[in-house]
Amino acid sequence: MAKLPTPQELIASRPEFPSEPWLDIKPQFAPGSFCYPAKKETMELLHMPNPHDWDPAAEDWNLPENWEQILCDAFEERLQKHRSLKLFMDICVRCGACADKCHFFLGTNDPKNMPVLRAELLRSLYRRDYTKLGKILGKRAGARSWDKEVVKELFYYAYQCTECRRCSLFCPYGIDTAEITAIVRELLHEVGLGIHWIMDPVKNCNVTGNHLGIQPHSFVEIVEMLADDCETITGIRPKTPFNEKGHEILFITPSGDVFADPGIYTFMGYLMLFHELDLDYTFSTYASEGGNFGSFTTFNMAKKLNAKMYAEARRLGAKWILGGECGHMWRVINQYMDTYNGPAPETMGTPVSPITGTVFKNALSTKMVHITEFTADLIKHNKLNLDPSRNDHIITTFHDSCNPARAMGLLEEPRAILKAVCNNFVEMPEQTIREQTFCCGAGSGLNTEEIMELRMRSGMPRGNALRYVQEKYGVNHMACVCAIDRATLPPLANYWAPGVTVSGVHELVANALVMKGECKRTMDLRQEDLPGVQEDE
Amino acid sequence: MNVQKIFREQRAVIVEGWINAVYSTYPLQTTGFLRTKNDPFTNPVGDMTKEAAGLIYDVIAGEHVTPQKIKHALDRFVRLRAVQQYTPSQGLGVFFLMKPLLREHILPLCREKEDLAEYLDAESRLDSVTLLAFDLYSAARETLAETRIAEIRNQHAQLVRWAQSVDGSPVSGKS
Repeated sequence: MAKLPTPQELIASRPEFPSEPWLDIKPQFAPGSFCYPAKKETMELLHMPNPHDWDPAAEDWNLPENWEQILCDAFEERLQKHRSLKLFMDICVRCGACADKCHFFLGTNDPKNMPVLRAELLRSLYRRDYTKLGKILGKRAGARSWDKEVVKELFYYAYQCTECRRCSLFCPYGIDTAEITAIVRELLHEVGLGIHWIMDPVKNCNVTGNHLGIQPHSFVEIVEMLADDCETITGIRPKTPFNEKGHEILFITPSGDVFADPGIYTFMGYLMLFHELDLDYTFSTYASEGGNFGSFTTFNMAKKLNAKMYAEARRLGAKWILGGECGHMWRVINQYMDTYNGPAPETMGTPVSPITGTVFKNALSTKMVHITEFTADLIKHNKLNLDPSRNDHIITTFHDSCNPARAMGLLEEPRAILKAVCNNFVEMPEQTIREQTFCCGAGSGLNTEEIMELRMRSGMPRGNALRYVQEKYGVNHMACVCAIDRATLPPLANYWAPGVTVSGVHELVANALVMKGECKRTMDLRQEDLPGVQEDE
Repeated sequence: MNVQKIFREQRAVIVEGWINAVYSTYPLQTTGFLRTKNDPFTNPVGDMTKEAAGLIYDVIAGEHVTPQKIKHALDRFVRLRAVQQYTPSQGLGVFFLMKPLLREHILPLCREKEDLAEYLDAESRLDSVTLLAFDLYSAARETLAETRIAEIRNQHAQLVRWAQSVDGSPVSGKS
């Protein structure tokens, strides 16, 4: 008789102790755990090195013939260029403080998702060529050589890191693991390995301005459609100034908020707020994507896409740039923009709020102000007529988006706004917010549907904290200041805390905003009835 | 009542044994962390497993546990297993890992008392819990599939609405 395996054999089949060292256990490229590759023609169009067709699930990735030389040279070049990378390779003492801080590790229980070991994948290659011990003792000193399986492994784990930098917060040396991931992604691009969800928007932003590649006239029409929706709700049609010269402010926000639900409601919030303030501003169709998809690929690509901001400010004669709710956009602006494309055009000046007169000295160098800084300042100076009771049907919490929180310290402004426009605001547990915030699980270009399972794993710590406040305090809404969050948190909430909706902060601002001459509000920005409000006969 | 006493006395050892059995489905290098960190937010997998372990045991021991409470604990745990990199049988089969523990620690004591019927009832309750978990598992996987579709739709929602308006057809008020 055939012998069936026992449940124990089927389920817990791993040996008591692993038969191989952790570094030798290779990842399985199972569907749902890797992103689709970038198209060859996309890579060609962007002049990326070694474009080729390949499939992550295939045995052979069709790497260029001299792939090892390319990678070694590229690594050498980056070690010369970034002193920080050399430091990060040398100074880690493997204390393990970061090990359990990564949301990917918490969700997958994969040891190579401990930030220390993820970095070790590159560090082991570094040791072989750049440390005496590694050169002499090889594997015994934790060194190893390049091979094609190593390349696959680097790809697998470089795209299981959202560059959120929660691990860096706990590192006693301040090693920025996100930068190590960024370098690994750069190296992989040298041999033609990139992913579709990142490279397609990069191509589109590069060619037409927005991440979907919509032509400028159509982009404007879509925004006008949103302005029509504002009119349906408030009776007032906000202005939609595009590519106009001579305005004080250029407004740049992620284009996702023009195309995608529920980001569009945040965008409508901007339109309504600016109209109410009679703000002297313009949009641009050229610089219509604030979120920098290039920052998920290489520093050079990030620089290239970022350059549009100052170029457009100069062309249009704007004095300063107001930036919308976005995540990676703000990391690029705060940490890289000055050295990428600075100094700002001489035609620009230190941002001053035309409504309150507040000088944003923090933006002295970049000339860019975050919209929540701008709005929190308005509220502090009592410049907005707000009726927070319109948001009474929601009990909201706030998800600190990784980059605004950790890369620019934007912690208080969104909270100040939320408390002014909502009567019910609840914080998630302290070890999951502010600087310690857990990532949405799909930042840095991983917000693609083919890895939905992986995203639910990596977003689990956030979902878990959300579910806690949902059950304990009846939270039914989560606000955030990032376009990727607005795209990725609804599925996450739907999975881990069903019943919680997600929006940007300015959607709630516009809901509460009492505009001059508006009609009686009977619905919110989503055109859903406001509870307890009847239409007049 | 004697059997109930046996179940209560063996609770700690079986619950711990099952938690360790679940942890043994994860790579060895990660189980130390799961075992030793108790914060429900910074060690969510540990918390979900511990919550499920205690309640599953109480249910099969015949203790009074409200359906909402067991469903809640199962729901968190099963949602986790449903998205981790396991086959469905590996994801859900962990419930059966309690049987060897019951047979090791409780069955001999029940046999001494010559009360096997109650022991078998307890094993049947474990089967029921597993069936309930199967429903939750399927629902979680369906949510995942629906989410993929909804996300694709949402990403281009305004674009579709705009495209529909280009040929002159009326634009719907809501996307």
